[in-house]
Amino acid sequence: MAIDPLAIDTARIPAGNTPQRARFRTPLSEVPWVKFGLIAIAVAFLALMLVLPLAAVFAEAFRRGVEPFLAALVEPDALSAVRLTLFVAAISVPANLLFGLVASWAIAKFQFKGKSFLITLIDLPFSVSPVISGLVYILLFGSYGFLGPWLIANGYQIVFAVPGIVLATIFVTFPFVARQLIPLMEQQGTTEEEAALSLGAGGLQTFWSVTLPNVKWALLYGVLLCNARAMGEFGAVSVVSGHIRGKTNTMPLHVEILYNEYNFVAAFAVATLLALLALVTLVLKSALEWRYGGELAAHGRH
Amino acid sequence: MPGEGARRAPVRIDVEELGKSYGSFAALDNVSLTVRPGELLALLGPSGSGKTTLLRAIAGLTATEEGTIRFDGEDATTLSLRERRVGFVFQQYALFRHMTVFDNVAFGLRVRPRDERPRAGEIARRVRRLLELVQLPGLERRFPSQLSGGQRQRVALARALAIEPNVLLLDEPFGALDAKVRKELRRWLRELHTETGLTTIFVTHDQEEALELADRVVIMREGKVEQVGTPADIYDEPATPYVCEFLGGVARFETNAKDGEADILGSTFPVESDGDYSGPALAYVRAHEIEIVSRELAQGVPAVIRAVRPFGPTVTVELSIEGRAERIEAEVPRELHSGGELGLGQGVFIRAVSARIFPVI
Repeated sequence: MAIDPLAIDTARIPAGNTPQRARFRTPLSEVPWVKFGLIAIAVAFLALMLVLPLAAVFAEAFRRGVEPFLAALVEPDALSAVRLTLFVAAISVPANLLFGLVASWAIAKFQFKGKSFLITLIDLPFSVSPVISGLVYILLFGSYGFLGPWLIANGYQIVFAVPGIVLATIFVTFPFVARQLIPLMEQQGTTEEEAALSLGAGGLQTFWSVTLPNVKWALLYGVLLCNARAMGEFGAVSVVSGHIRGKTNTMPLHVEILYNEYNFVAAFAVATLLALLALVTLVLKSALEWRYGGELAAHGRH
Repeated sequence: MPGEGARRAPVRIDVEELGKSYGSFAALDNVSLTVRPGELLALLGPSGSGKTTLLRAIAGLTATEEGTIRFDGEDATTLSLRERRVGFVFQQYALFRHMTVFDNVAFGLRVRPRDERPRAGEIARRVRRLLELVQLPGLERRFPSQLSGGQRQRVALARALAIEPNVLLLDEPFGALDAKVRKELRRWLRELHTETGLTTIFVTHDQEEALELADRVVIMREGKVEQVGTPADIYDEPATPYVCEFLGGVARFETNAKDGEADILGSTFPVESDGDYSGPALAYVRAHEIEIVSRELAQGVPAVIRAVRPFGPTVTVELSIEGRAERIEAEVPRELHSGGELGLGQGVFIRAVSARIFPVI
């Protein structure tokens, strides 16, 4: 006998049998109020601590209009401070670029005794107060210092002169490039270099065509951060500079002097330049990440 | 160019008394080996057996302390990497991640000294031909990260072949691939070897891979060569207990030999030694060398069936015998299973059809 499907007693299935299932939420997502609450807290904090001060710098600089602002920038002492800052960065950044490359190469590609000590040493400038960083150069090269008397007697003025500022800046910005490169190079290992060598490439060819391209974005990133710090360094430079206007004043020091003289417009005008530098660095960094994000991620994967 | 008109004669490699140690650990201990021109040789062994060190030493990537390596009689230990012309395929391929497939393959040609370097058009032609050889045409513009494991492997091979190598060396060529791709690439590598005719050495820890693919297999253990032979030699005539155990699928018995013979599972076999050895011995019997005898005949050793795995061309039966803790596996014809003679817990008799017995010294 054929079964008539309609003959199945539907009444026996209890009404409202479909249970009210809670809407499925992925385990890692939060309920909306938590989500937006967290975002709101973060945004408020950022606004209060970062955006507001930055806006204040620009507001103060333009308080009396554009003309006093421009006047403060073209004033000879200010120009000299800008020149000195650029000059110091132009020496210390390439120096640390070179050092960072060499150090990370040595640490990542070779095994030797005292390797972890070297890594710790590279990090030293990060952990030491900038004031100490400046003081060590006074102790070393000052007129009562270790090497100072001899150097001064021979006509080399290090402390309270440009060489001291450059040295202190190099010291403080020492770790930036190396810190970016070491983890990346360690992760990449040496097999690509071995491959290049086995394919007949020479040592320099291998460096230029394999090692350097593999770290170029990290290198650029490290250089950007290094440059930002080199131009903005205050503590260490303040100790060794001697604050001679038009001679040994960098931009951050110039800002401080102007501020202490109650010349707020000028102080904030020069400060805007430093703030702009920071913004440019940020934009460049983001642009790099945006433009080469895929490639950077590919490096991480492979 | 491999696979092109004027093919050079394949190179013969002689490894003579090679030694290398890391501290007190001997990675290579007095290794001597001859690789015949044009053969496909497998270096087989567990990790730490020195197989990769030997391969890297032949490539010139690892320095050795003792011994010589000769390419066609010429001492290669004094040659630079470039002069050795060794095509090396790395375990994780080591493709240049910032270069396209095309640039990867062209690398070895572009870094040549100016007077030996082919012109750009010639390089492009060769790269395209190589990509055809490794069956990857049309992928020139891709980056390594955009390729599958098997494709990367092929690019690495094309790159190694681009320098027109004297020998081709592959370090665990299929190690990082899944089982299906492995099988395909294995067959393909065999064909490629026939096509190029290059003396080729590859390292593997997978005995099946080595026995299936290679013309000859070198089994290594603790920095020494344990046995060299064709896959058939190695399978049929394992030289030492170690080789037996490494190849796997054997049951091991401790027994006693008398006058050059020993009893094992109800049969008597000669001991692998000169003269009439008497004393303790080790016997190895493969699963398919164990026969289940019908109860009526009552020959061999009584055993109890503990498990039956009825898949594959044969049926694997796990048995236990008296006085032995480990179970013994026997591979028997399917008919026995379908005949209903393999009930769990059933008592049967088993007998060894063949065995290898080594004296314990």
